[in-house]
Amino acid sequence: MAKPPTTVPSAASPPARLIDGQFSVDITRPIPGAGGGLPAFVAVDRGEGRTGLMAVQVRRYLPVRPLALQTLGGPAFARNGIEELLSPLAYGAAPAPGGEEAGFLICEAPPGPALSVSLRPWAETELLTLVLRPAARALDQLALRGLTHRGIRVDNVFRAGVGHPVVLGCAWATPPAALQPAIAEPPYVAMCHPAARGDGTIADDVYALGVLLLTLALGRVPLAGLSELEITRQKLDLGSLAALVGDHRLGSFLADLLRGMLAEDPDHRPPPALLLDPAAARSRRTAARPPSRAPRPIQIGDMVCWHPRTLAHAVATQPEPGLEVLRTGVVGQWLRRGLGDGPLAVHLEEQIRIRGAMPLPDAPIETEAMLLMRAVAILDPLAPMCWDGLNLWPDGLGTLIAACQDPAVPANVDLAGRVARMISAEGQTAWASHRGDRTDARSPRMDARQLHTLLYLPGPGGGLARLAYQLNPLLPCTSPGLDSRWVAQLAELLPALDAAARRERPVEPVGPAVAGFVAARGDRGLEAAVAQFGNTPGPVGPMAQLRLLARLQARYHPRPLPALGAWVADGADQLLSVFQSRPRRIKLRPKLLELASTGQLTALLTMLDDADTKRNDDRDVQRAARDLALIDSVLVRIGRDGPARAEQARRIGQEVAAGIGLTALATLLMVAALG
Amino acid sequence: MAKRTPTTRAVSGAAAPQGGKASAIGWMQGLACGGLVAVLPPTALLLGALLGPALAALFLDRQPGKPVARSVLLFALAASVRPIRMLWVAGHTMATSIVLATDPDIVGTAWAAAAAGWLLAELTPLAVRIVLEAISRAQATRLLAARAALAEEWGLDKKAAPPG
Repeated sequence: MAKPPTTVPSAASPPARLIDGQFSVDITRPIPGAGGGLPAFVAVDRGEGRTGLMAVQVRRYLPVRPLALQTLGGPAFARNGIEELLSPLAYGAAPAPGGEEAGFLICEAPPGPALSVSLRPWAETELLTLVLRPAARALDQLALRGLTHRGIRVDNVFRAGVGHPVVLGCAWATPPAALQPAIAEPPYVAMCHPAARGDGTIADDVYALGVLLLTLALGRVPLAGLSELEITRQKLDLGSLAALVGDHRLGSFLADLLRGMLAEDPDHRPPPALLLDPAAARSRRTAARPPSRAPRPIQIGDMVCWHPRTLAHAVATQPEPGLEVLRTGVVGQWLRRGLGDGPLAVHLEEQIRIRGAMPLPDAPIETEAMLLMRAVAILDPLAPMCWDGLNLWPDGLGTLIAACQDPAVPANVDLAGRVARMISAEGQTAWASHRGDRTDARSPRMDARQLHTLLYLPGPGGGLARLAYQLNPLLPCTSPGLDSRWVAQLAELLPALDAAARRERPVEPVGPAVAGFVAARGDRGLEAAVAQFGNTPGPVGPMAQLRLLARLQARYHPRPLPALGAWVADGADQLLSVFQSRPRRIKLRPKLLELASTGQLTALLTMLDDADTKRNDDRDVQRAARDLALIDSVLVRIGRDGPARAEQARRIGQEVAAGIGLTALATLLMVAALG
Repeated sequence: MAKRTPTTRAVSGAAAPQGGKASAIGWMQGLACGGLVAVLPPTALLLGALLGPALAALFLDRQPGKPVARSVLLFALAASVRPIRMLWVAGHTMATSIVLATDPDIVGTAWAAAAAGWLLAELTPLAVRIVLEAISRAQATRLLAARAALAEEWGLDKKAAPPG
């Protein structure tokens, strides 16, 4: 691979959108193999004129690692001083080759080709001086900053040329280890969902470095041709070193070094600082007792298990047969009689009896998943969290939820359901309780209770979509209407929504995905505006939408939004219905349309939310309602008083008749008296 | 036999004085009529003939206060003033009373007056009711118009439908 050009393109190049106000992406000049598994292009620093940069195109549902970007990139880039590493600089959106917008991570470009380009057996001296020491130095610096690399593999490590030290490639544009093959990762990481491997520890990088050393020592990738699952099973069954080395012979120095680096237990691997002195690292031998094999295996599904480690893996990956053998007591018998591990059998059976005998009400799936999770944690304390066939490290939960949002993968619906059930049952807490002092190393970023609370917040302010944005600060908005845009920050949201509304007049510009995005990224005021969307399915009222849009405009984008204004004008009658007085609505309508045409949503909201006007309207409507009630009561009385009026008419009529008769009598008597 | 409750005893106790009062009035009316027949037989004969329909109305009218009979009686009495005066002018004899009581014009006039009294007692309530209903309808129409205007102006149409 040729080193990317070091000259700034001529001014005749078409104007490009700048990332971080400084970097442009030249999509006409791809850099094959440089992006650590992602497409990479030449990036140009138009601010400081830096050269040797690349832009790695980010996948929409595999978010960039924010901590690495914050710690190594931006203002910290100049002083991070890790020369053996391709450090990130900035992150932002730019036009991608397909014409749509995509996220790009600006990163240092590799100095030369990847080691995989010309793979050959390396001499031990070369390995130690040109690979181990520079990589260990980079890992040591990362560890000091609380970071991990999680992308060390033969095609993501580069060097400028023969005799030059290696440089670790870009591993920041995806979740940790998301693109790592099973061969490069410890089996307890490889068995996890690619998006759920978590940041892990620097010991995981040491393992990957060990695999790289072995690959270079052999001159070829070990276990090539085997499936990912088979590689993981062999590592668990035989131990990583034995599985990877196989029948090959290694020098004693390298073999001793790799024994430590490829240890199954992360605590047994040498730290990077120790690897800077390979002789010292070699001498540090932590005795890891190999798992004892039973004379007779136990069959779980299609897997033959000889020891608890493989048994735990079988139960974790095949939940249905695993659950069956756990409940029938076959596992306990095998542990006791076959393996001779009575205490482990007793512990496991206690847990099965206690937990299995007390199912959660109306939640059989959660009960079974919890039982499986506890069984795996007891059988193999090094294993990741296993929940209903899904294996993950809790610190990878956020990126897993982000990956679940991808609608192009049908299996994500089921996956999201399992994740939601796990959070609902707060499985992480139960898992952590079985790991003792190992929990701290991979503790979840957010407390399980917080996740549970966010999951069950009503409306679009809660749920997995909200969690995806909350746990992944750089995940772009995944709203279907914003497919062609890359909106990772709230400031970019309104222009994108306005552009989407210009293309097609929306029923509701703020869909559930957008609302969840705003709730996660915004302040309390915006979260409250999202909460007003309510928890009812179907379209949200235009007033709630306008309130959110106006607040966003006030905070992040004071410029006009004509297309969204046109949407407001379409729903003017509905918006004006906040006022109950028809004359008031008629009076305000022209003003509303005028503000809508100028795209000033904030002023529009101010008019509709004016406290005095609303107070007057409320007062007047209360008076009108009282008058209406009075009229209704009179009408009711008129209708109800029919019989009373009939009785009154009868009485009056009879009195009148009697009066006439009396008058006639009196008159005739007077006439008779007068003669 | 069912045992009488205190309530039924109280009701029957209250009805007893009213029945006694009506009976006393009846006895007094009977005594007056008897007195009239005994003291002024010609007048009693003539009145008996002329007020026959009124007496029948008094018997038939079961309404409290006998409003129809009262009207019939007043009209019949008004029509009886002239024949009674003629009887007394003619010497108040039995023969004159019989002549007058059998005169179709006199009896017809008295009975027609009684009929007019009955008709008036029946029709006047109807006429009054028509007037009262017309007044109520006019008021309801006016109120409904006011209500519709109010509801339209304030958008209260859907919140409160008019009664009835």
